[in-house]
Amino acid sequence: MLNVPSVVFLGIDVVKFAVNLGTAYMLFLAVSLTLNLEAGYTGVPNFGKVMFLAGGAAVSASVCGRLAVFILGINVHGDYNGYIVTVINQVNASLSQNPVLCVELILLGTLLAAGVGAIMGFLASYPAIRLREDYLGMLLLASAQFFQIFLGAYAPLIGGTQGISVPNFFGWAGSGIGVRDVAVLGFLTVFAISVFVFVERVARSPLGRTLRAVRDNELASRALGKNDVAIRRNVIVIAAAISAMAGALLTFQVASVGPGTWDRVTWTFWIWVMVIIGGSGNNRGVALGALSFAFLFDMIDQVQFAFQPYLPDFVDVNFLRYILFAALLILILAFRPGGILPEKSSPTLPKRTLHGIMGRENAKGEMDQKEPA
Amino acid sequence: MVEFTYVVSSIIFGSLFGMMAIGLTLTYITTKVPNFAYGSFVTVGLYTSYSLYRFEAITPYLSAPIAFGIGGLTSILMYLGILRPLARRGSPLVSLMIATLAIDIAFVGIFGTYANYLRYTYVFIDSLNFTEILGDFSIFGSQGLILAAPLTLALITIGLYLLLTRTKFGVAMRASVENPSLARVLGIDVEKVYVFAWFLAGGLAAMSGSYYTLYSQGGIATGSGLIVEIFAASVLGGLSSLYGAAIGGVIIGAGENLLTGGGISVFGNGVLDYQKGIPLVLMILTLLVFPQGLASLPWIRVVTRIRRISGRLLGGIRRLSARGLRRC
Repeated sequence: MLNVPSVVFLGIDVVKFAVNLGTAYMLFLAVSLTLNLEAGYTGVPNFGKVMFLAGGAAVSASVCGRLAVFILGINVHGDYNGYIVTVINQVNASLSQNPVLCVELILLGTLLAAGVGAIMGFLASYPAIRLREDYLGMLLLASAQFFQIFLGAYAPLIGGTQGISVPNFFGWAGSGIGVRDVAVLGFLTVFAISVFVFVERVARSPLGRTLRAVRDNELASRALGKNDVAIRRNVIVIAAAISAMAGALLTFQVASVGPGTWDRVTWTFWIWVMVIIGGSGNNRGVALGALSFAFLFDMIDQVQFAFQPYLPDFVDVNFLRYILFAALLILILAFRPGGILPEKSSPTLPKRTLHGIMGRENAKGEMDQKEPA
Repeated sequence: MVEFTYVVSSIIFGSLFGMMAIGLTLTYITTKVPNFAYGSFVTVGLYTSYSLYRFEAITPYLSAPIAFGIGGLTSILMYLGILRPLARRGSPLVSLMIATLAIDIAFVGIFGTYANYLRYTYVFIDSLNFTEILGDFSIFGSQGLILAAPLTLALITIGLYLLLTRTKFGVAMRASVENPSLARVLGIDVEKVYVFAWFLAGGLAAMSGSYYTLYSQGGIATGSGLIVEIFAASVLGGLSSLYGAAIGGVIIGAGENLLTGGGISVFGNGVLDYQKGIPLVLMILTLLVFPQGLASLPWIRVVTRIRRISGRLLGGIRRLSARGLRRC
């Protein structure tokens, strides 16, 4: 089996750190780009992001796990949730011998998650296009909270509050901090880059301008014949589908799923932090924001180990992070509301044409000034 | 049909959510921002009462006024320190909403650090997640909160009514909410009014948090978890009316517990898991069917109709009695 070399620098295992950071970053990147599509470009304040990720994760974990058990012919006595714990090692052992099946199941799960996410997005968009911003924010926040309760309560899906383990679909690529993590990273990178290309193309197309028009002036865009209701609905559905895919991939990576994974802080609030730090309405900015967030987030862990002896016992790094990132967000909102890379104004005509018109206008202006003399 | 414990919890939670919804509505009508950090002010009350009980064995009834003060001051700090400067810089509504969400997260971090401090320094092992404080007085064979909580809500509602209708400051408050620029022209210090409203709001949340410790377990994220119910209550009340919020809180708190209790006796214990969904469903229905809440329903028409009918009845009785008197 291959092994990734470890390089230790200043007490930090650099390769391990980079792989972990990359994995977190690719997931954050995909999700924050979809939030940017919703909130940054279209002006839908989605405070219920976590709901779509959790929905995709739960359904794909549940279905793919069952499928794997069925295809491998492992007996779970008709009670998948009850027996998966006892047979998980057997399932993983067989799966690691069968990479093709694993990849198929991963792809199937991701596609399935996209479908589930799209349906959830469609349901969420029903009130979304009818309510004002503030009411909508409240409604989405509340729905996400309820969805988490539902995941804990409805045992047949992912086994209730405790959650269930998911078969390890990356088992063929080794284990631990070995090649498996690099394989996962590869999958996530392909996914995140395709999301980036997609949202960037949307943003640069005439559709992107329509989205911004709906965000900036609903009435004017309606007057120009744009169906703002349908536009907002489609954006929510697409963003939800992509988020659900990210949720499914995360579940396959950690090989377990439970309602506790899907808390409001990580998958709604941190995502908003990334979008706002980076610059909402600018995909490159958001990509940078997600990177700086993921880096700071992981660095705080490393720095904490270094300062452990000097910190009082009661300082918990998790709570410290809450306070620090909240303060950072508020400071950015106050002093640099556009983020690191603020949204660029989009010229409505090609640059050359625009220059031509401007030149002509200027010339005309000069002539007008000359005339009275 | 419904077990008695659910009747008790519906009375207590109905009253507490009434108080919280009044506060949330106060912050909403003054700044027009949905305050997602509001739940954390309930946690301020929880921890004030918890600490005072553990250190000095002070009952939450006595620490409630202290909690009111601390909650109110924290709320003013949040308004003057963060929301107002942001609003003055011209932040859009979504930025203000995300700022309140950030404040909520920061609060959880602060409470967590404080609870850890108590745990490591004073060895309070339950500081991150404590059970209800025993030592409430008992009445009608159940705890005293069943009387104290509704009484407090009633007193607060009557007090607010008197303040808003019978005092000059109250009239100024209403004016500043209805039309700030016109109120400013009339020489009302609108900012002072807003600061007072935020003080009241934070105080009410913290006070209900203190009461909460007598009935239910609490922890660093308890208040944040209640935010859905508080918003549901406020939305049901119309997000603009304080009395509507009080009624909305009672409906949400009582409805959640009574429906759960009733559901358990019909469908079994599985219903318990979905308890928190009830306020959410009520909120969604309100938003979709009558988004302006209870306040928007044609109450005036209802009231005038009742008055007309009762007037006719009274008139008839009076005429009859007069005739009877003449005959005597």
